[in-house]
Amino acid sequence: MNGIHDMGGMHGFGRVEREENEPVFHARWEGRVLGISRACSAQGIFNIDESRHAIERMAPVDYLSASYYERWLDRNVRLLVEKGVITREELERRMAQLADGKDPATPHSDPKLLDRMLRVTRERTPYRQPGPAPRFALGDRVLTRHDAPIGHTRLPRYARGKPGVIVRVHGTFIFPDTHAHGQGEQSHALYSVRFDAALLWGESAEPRAPVHIDLWERYLLPNAPARSTR
Amino acid sequence: MDAVPNREIADMKGAAALPRKNGELVFDEAWQGRIFGMTVAMSHDACFAWRNFQSHLIDEIGHAERGGESTSYYERWLHAFEQLLADKGLLDAGALDERTREFESGRRDDVF
Amino acid sequence: MSGTHEHGHHHREPESVLSLRVRALESLLVEKKLVSSEAVDRVVAAYEQDIGPHNGAKVVARAWIDPAYRARLLADGTAAIEELGFGGVDLQVVENTPGVHNLVVCTLCSCYPHALIGLPPVWYKSFEYRSRAVREPRVVLREFGVDLPETTEIRIWDSSAELRYLVLPERPAGTERLAEAELAKLVTRDAMIGVAVVKPPAAAAR
Repeated sequence: MNGIHDMGGMHGFGRVEREENEPVFHARWEGRVLGISRACSAQGIFNIDESRHAIERMAPVDYLSASYYERWLDRNVRLLVEKGVITREELERRMAQLADGKDPATPHSDPKLLDRMLRVTRERTPYRQPGPAPRFALGDRVLTRHDAPIGHTRLPRYARGKPGVIVRVHGTFIFPDTHAHGQGEQSHALYSVRFDAALLWGESAEPRAPVHIDLWERYLLPNAPARSTR
Repeated sequence: MDAVPNREIADMKGAAALPRKNGELVFDEAWQGRIFGMTVAMSHDACFAWRNFQSHLIDEIGHAERGGESTSYYERWLHAFEQLLADKGLLDAGALDERTREFESGRRDDVF
Repeated sequence: MSGTHEHGHHHREPESVLSLRVRALESLLVEKKLVSSEAVDRVVAAYEQDIGPHNGAKVVARAWIDPAYRARLLADGTAAIEELGFGGVDLQVVENTPGVHNLVVCTLCSCYPHALIGLPPVWYKSFEYRSRAVREPRVVLREFGVDLPETTEIRIWDSSAELRYLVLPERPAGTERLAEAELAKLVTRDAMIGVAVVKPPAAAAR
């Protein structure tokens, strides 16, 4: 989607601000949100593509004014509600109870879940899956599609309709554009594609600053090499 | 003040090892980070030698294990730190109890 | 612009006895000038960011010492880090050379090689970095204190899929005699993202 999240190349943002010795979490609740996200994904309540798309669906003004973990919190609530795990009313009621100092939840441990959550940090990711043989090879010239899909995609707007070169064939991976919408994994070839800065940004481009993006085959069309004009 | 991690502290081994997950320090509650920070900051400032605190910590952990206590690592750290402060005459246990009551009752409400 | 401000609705959870006691302790120690809260903040931050053992730094140090490992790392990052006992990431390692400097970003969200270098710094996830790193890397690097000659190619890697990118920085001059563990201590998180270079030991010990 042409969302606010797709901000590569946007103008208007200023200097990158670095907090000296910033804490990992600025407030305790941030760490809790991270833990909740991991618990949800470990139980398959939502997949990573759904979770990214949920953040993308925030209203632009909310997206821009929210902190990073506020966006995660919004995402968790949005998906848990959409998936029917909780309702917004239940959430409001529980917040009121906690504000009154009452917590009806009983703490319990779930070692199996914890193990699954921890395994994520130790094992290979499940995103590499078998798929059809790649169409493109190292060195092939490609042209990215010019579509503006309504749903989730990982082709950034700044690289639509641009010529590039395949610099690596990564293998076959789950396709986010379908996986985010319950349309299956549809795994297929993923490539690293190199784009010349001048072709992306025009005259204002810096010299010698090529951008490489990991792109699925369905984002790509063959681009015939320029004919030599001898 | 030097804020570069001291290896003697960061790399403690055995029962006294700092709790980590995938290499990163873990504080389950904010107070744990605070008590860690207080102890280490004072050590960095040479209020006491680290091995002095470390031996208190090891003692406290040993004592808790033998007693079959289910206290967390940082709860044991807190006891060890209070003990060290008392030993060095830096803090009166009575003063700490009193100050804790003030926070409990809401008479004080500083957040750190 | 991408602030980390708290939202207006604070929900007060019941505070634990331990939490109250630690607050009291800090209050007293600050009063007695035995500690400052700012110092406590700095210490916590420094130790939290010090991922000891630093997984990514170990990988870099091994690559510096062992050319065959370096080759394996560049060819198949995922398998190479497994040799050192690290997993949980589909990894692409990109090496800095005298003529090439690599920079990693995720313009669409904030993908980052967590398993090797922990949680991303706030600036990596900021709108400023996400929007500008792809378009004006040289300017952004200068803001980070990295001044590269015009002849250096800056390769930007936009982590748009589930592959994660790690920069293999250049080994600094004068480190030939250092052991692998000593080399690992020089490698910073920022150098492995690409917004810093690794400094030789004399400069690193500020």
